[in-house]
Amino acid sequence: MSTGPGAVAGSAHDGEPVFELRGISHRYGRNQVIFDVSMAVWPGEVVALVGDNGAGKSTLLKIFAGYQRPTSGILRFMGREVSFATPADARGIGIEAVYQDLAIVDQMSLWRNFFLGKEMVRRFGPLHVLERRRMREAAGNALAQLGLTRIRSVEEPVWTLSGGERQSVAITRAIHFGARLLLLDEPTAALSVRETRNVIASIERAREHKLGVLYIDHNMSHVLPVADRIVLLELGRVVRTIDRGEVGLVELQDLIARRDNRADG
Amino acid sequence: MSPQRSANRTPGAASLPADRVRRLLAEGILGIRELAPGLGLIAVILFFSLQTAHFWSPQTMTAISSIASTIGIVAVGVTMLMISGEFDLSVGQNFAFTPIIWALLFVTNGINEWLALIVALMLSCCVGIINGFVTTLFGIPSFITTLGMFFVLEGLNNLLISGHQLIMFDPSAAMSLLGARITDTPFYMPVVWLFVIAGIFWFVLSHLRYGNWTLATGGRAGPAKAMGVPTARVKRTNFVLSAFLAGLSGCMQFAYIRGVTQAQGQNYELLAITAAVLGGTSLFGGTGTIWGSVIGAFLLATIEIGLVLIGVPGSFYVTFIGVILVIVVIANVRLGRFGSSQA
Repeated sequence: MSTGPGAVAGSAHDGEPVFELRGISHRYGRNQVIFDVSMAVWPGEVVALVGDNGAGKSTLLKIFAGYQRPTSGILRFMGREVSFATPADARGIGIEAVYQDLAIVDQMSLWRNFFLGKEMVRRFGPLHVLERRRMREAAGNALAQLGLTRIRSVEEPVWTLSGGERQSVAITRAIHFGARLLLLDEPTAALSVRETRNVIASIERAREHKLGVLYIDHNMSHVLPVADRIVLLELGRVVRTIDRGEVGLVELQDLIARRDNRADG
Repeated sequence: MSPQRSANRTPGAASLPADRVRRLLAEGILGIRELAPGLGLIAVILFFSLQTAHFWSPQTMTAISSIASTIGIVAVGVTMLMISGEFDLSVGQNFAFTPIIWALLFVTNGINEWLALIVALMLSCCVGIINGFVTTLFGIPSFITTLGMFFVLEGLNNLLISGHQLIMFDPSAAMSLLGARITDTPFYMPVVWLFVIAGIFWFVLSHLRYGNWTLATGGRAGPAKAMGVPTARVKRTNFVLSAFLAGLSGCMQFAYIRGVTQAQGQNYELLAITAAVLGGTSLFGGTGTIWGSVIGAFLLATIEIGLVLIGVPGSFYVTFIGVILVIVVIANVRLGRFGSSQA
């Protein structure tokens, strides 16, 4: 399936998409980086954004996450038009951005990280007393379900975890708190093979929980097994949308390389 | 204060068995953060007990406990602030400023002592409010904001007291509450207040949502903010706590020695930071414990008095502390307790 710019990529689905961009353009000053992009992510769907450097992947992700307001175009969340003044607005309606280096406070224990900003508390007048045992148990259960077997104790500070484990913790946290859309920026960059497998497993868990997942990745061999749909960007435009199984790894790499070459030439 | 993050730690490095064991050792054995400084304190006490018979005398106990409690109370506030990622260099001057205001109001001008105390403490809080707002609104390093406040207060203190000493001969009720001797012991009230205040802030740090937010703010403000923690408000509150406890501790010192000069609290800003660091608080924010800082304050006081007892010139004390401070920070970074926790 191939769609030209302007058409909503992936419109073959039933029901409402979690999040939808319609005719989004964005410019930094006089420099236009996104040209009339329309795309959508449905519940339980994993969408990969691929393309060369400068294709506009990061800018699109920032628009999804509320870090960037598009110059023009419409954002729709669960069928309703929205606009975000800050990332907190996006987060407030269930859009969770997980960045490899930014999701977690290293010095704090797992359970403190897990509930950061959403602490279980008992109120005594002005005091918000942490319900430590409840949070430890809940964090432990949620992480055990994910199968992070190497995590021994929720008391461990996060800096004892590897990069992949941290992301898995952040993804588990997003699922636990009922996020609808998960945004991941190169979740497998610089990870070992086993680590990558763990992160992909938590992405699949997010899909099972009917979250929409949108992620950027450079490694096509990581993208292909997990993505339901691949949106190929080139110089700020959607040039192709590829459904699962439509192309193989070699073909996909060739496709991007050919496009890159043409763009360079 | 932005943590220097080491870029050389590749994700996945923790999965190397040796590295992981090292981390677990660092966390599991030294993880009781008060253990290392506690052992240090015991070693120092043993050393001086063996060196001099006077060490366990009531006079020594009085001197050590009094110094430790005034530094310790200041250090508790400074620790909260440092954990949230900021410094306060104005606490030493605030330590003199607040009791000067209190003494001027009730000793010199005869205002009700409780009212005067409340006014003085409110002024010390105002100092913290200014420190916090200037730092968070203009985004400048608190090192500079509070250095500026240091000079502002130093000037005010000189102006208010103009080289004299304010003395109160008859202890009043408020002064007794803050600084009187505890009957039949060599100890004075400040040491009781130290443990009460440390207990309160231990609870705040480990059991209140606010403590969680303080740890997160200094740990990494970016993710903390993304998770909905009001990081600027947390910092501002800790600036006020730090200023308030410095002022309160200064009033206790005044109540205990019944006099105040503009020299009171000299070096206290640095001694409070030193106590916190000796007790395991990170200079980069995000980690630290209240009891560790209390132990750090007792370490400083024991070394100060101990050196005097064994006949070392008093001025050597700060030299000695300077060396110890640097060694402790090197050891902490080497053990990866806050070196790698920044990764």
